[in-house]
Amino acid sequence: MSSTVLPLPTERRAPVPALAAMALLWIAAVLCVAVFADQLRPYGITQFDLRNRLAPPLGFGGTAAHPLGTDELGRDVLSRLLVSVRISLLIAFGATAIAALLGTTLGFLAAHRRGWTEAAILMLIDAQAALPFLILALAVLAFFGNSLPLFVCLMGLYGWERHARIARGLAVQADAQGYAGAVRQLGAGPLRVYMRHVLPNIASTLIVSATLSFPEVILLESGLSFLGLGIQPPMTSLGNMIGYGREYLTRAPWILLAPGAVVVLTTFSVSVLGDWLRDRLDPTLG
Amino acid sequence: MIRFLALRLGRALLTIALVVTFAFVVLRLSGDPAMLILNVDAPAEAIAAFRHAWGLDRPLWVQYFAYFGNILHGDLGQSMRDGRPAAALVMERIPATLAIALPALLIKVGLGIPAGVQAALRRGSLTDRLVMAAAVAGFTVPSFVLGLVLVLVFAVKLGWLPSGGQDSPLSAVLPVVTLGFGGAAVLARFTRSAMLEVLGQPYIRTAMAKGVPWRLVVRGHALPNAAIPTVTIVGFMVGSLMAGAVVVESVFSWPGVGRLLVTAVSNRDLAVVQCILLLVASTMVLSNLLVDLLYGVLDPRLRAAR
Repeated sequence: MSSTVLPLPTERRAPVPALAAMALLWIAAVLCVAVFADQLRPYGITQFDLRNRLAPPLGFGGTAAHPLGTDELGRDVLSRLLVSVRISLLIAFGATAIAALLGTTLGFLAAHRRGWTEAAILMLIDAQAALPFLILALAVLAFFGNSLPLFVCLMGLYGWERHARIARGLAVQADAQGYAGAVRQLGAGPLRVYMRHVLPNIASTLIVSATLSFPEVILLESGLSFLGLGIQPPMTSLGNMIGYGREYLTRAPWILLAPGAVVVLTTFSVSVLGDWLRDRLDPTLG
Repeated sequence: MIRFLALRLGRALLTIALVVTFAFVVLRLSGDPAMLILNVDAPAEAIAAFRHAWGLDRPLWVQYFAYFGNILHGDLGQSMRDGRPAAALVMERIPATLAIALPALLIKVGLGIPAGVQAALRRGSLTDRLVMAAAVAGFTVPSFVLGLVLVLVFAVKLGWLPSGGQDSPLSAVLPVVTLGFGGAAVLARFTRSAMLEVLGQPYIRTAMAKGVPWRLVVRGHALPNAAIPTVTIVGFMVGSLMAGAVVVESVFSWPGVGRLLVTAVSNRDLAVVQCILLLVASTMVLSNLLVDLLYGVLDPRLRAAR
């Protein structure tokens, strides 16, 4: 760089980001699919059509009977995709909610109790952050075996340490401000102070942090299901479809390309939305 | 400095102890090993004999210390599948994992950091947009989708590269690219924001105001300061060398530690899982320790403060 390029002091931001609008549209469509999957799907997800095995999608030599083609047992890829979207989203929502709840509670507890409670919680946060979560999840699945409730709870552990760190930091700050002290002086108990007064004040930051971890949960769930260690058949999820479709990569790539595209578009949309929300609500988050 | 080192070392050992404790607790919570190995309707004497032989009838805290002692002696138990020592089983997989993880790390660092720096220096330019688009793609495309699409294109359609296995040096190309691209994207995005933050600092303006050439401002003021947060992320990548390739190894049937972990988990081969857990935790802790030391080198203030 020979010429002097002045760094711009503030970021230029388009007033209405088209990308965020498109992301929102895709998320709305995916949510509709998740809610109405049973009404939208043309076939049952375990319904065989043995004469139409590995039928290609419409436009690649397929027929309108199976717009996205069929898999090795003649099951309709579109129907399975719709139901997979529902299951993957349900798990991601459930897990993110559990992580946010757990993290916020522990963060508040650390801020309220201080002392050794806080030290213990901070140590747990450090230990969690020091291990790749995928390895931890695999270890737990090995020790306990797999079941749906356990799997959702396990996913719910993902990212709790981030929420806890943020909640604790913000609650400590809020405690030092006048309003928390004022309600406390009026005789409010800690539960009331944190739930009714502190939480609404820091909610936007927590929501942004949850939005940012949502796509990571989708990727984690689909990764584990892809390895055959997540959602088990006859249930289906996006990762699970990709994992089984892999064996037909040469003959029927559509089996895995359709769920692959949905995973990519969904995580992309949610992270675009998360970045946008962060810029709007709380630019201080990393 | 000595005190700083001792403190860090203590914390590192504590983290490993925590992981060992976690493994012990989870192992004991997951059910009676006697029931797992023997049949449920085995005679009561057989179960009692088994429990005595493995020390399961001793108090829990005695078991805990025995468990710790065994690990300190390097005894990590036998694989339930073939009765071989779990540690040996894991060790022989390490070279294969490093064979793809190290070149991938080179791609991540060699591609990600310069791309991020360039994007920050030419903010708003075409370079910046391209780097950011690639970075977002790298984050949102899961490695198994990227890997399978690469197989579809380069192995199935074009026939240039093998789709998996470890038969020729060429088989490593696709796994290395898959692994490297995602990491490079993360690193580029991170380096860019670290660099932008530094470029907005008053000392950069001061340096420019006193007429330091831009090249020297970047080299002498911006890069060293942006290096500190970037080193943290690189440290995390070095720490997850052993475990970062679980999915990619499975996609390409690469016989590394990650694939061993997946088979061990589906067979519930606990000794092997536990051994890999410890291996991953120790590499992670070791690399965090190195990062802490590097901070001291990069930031003289930290050296003075401790």
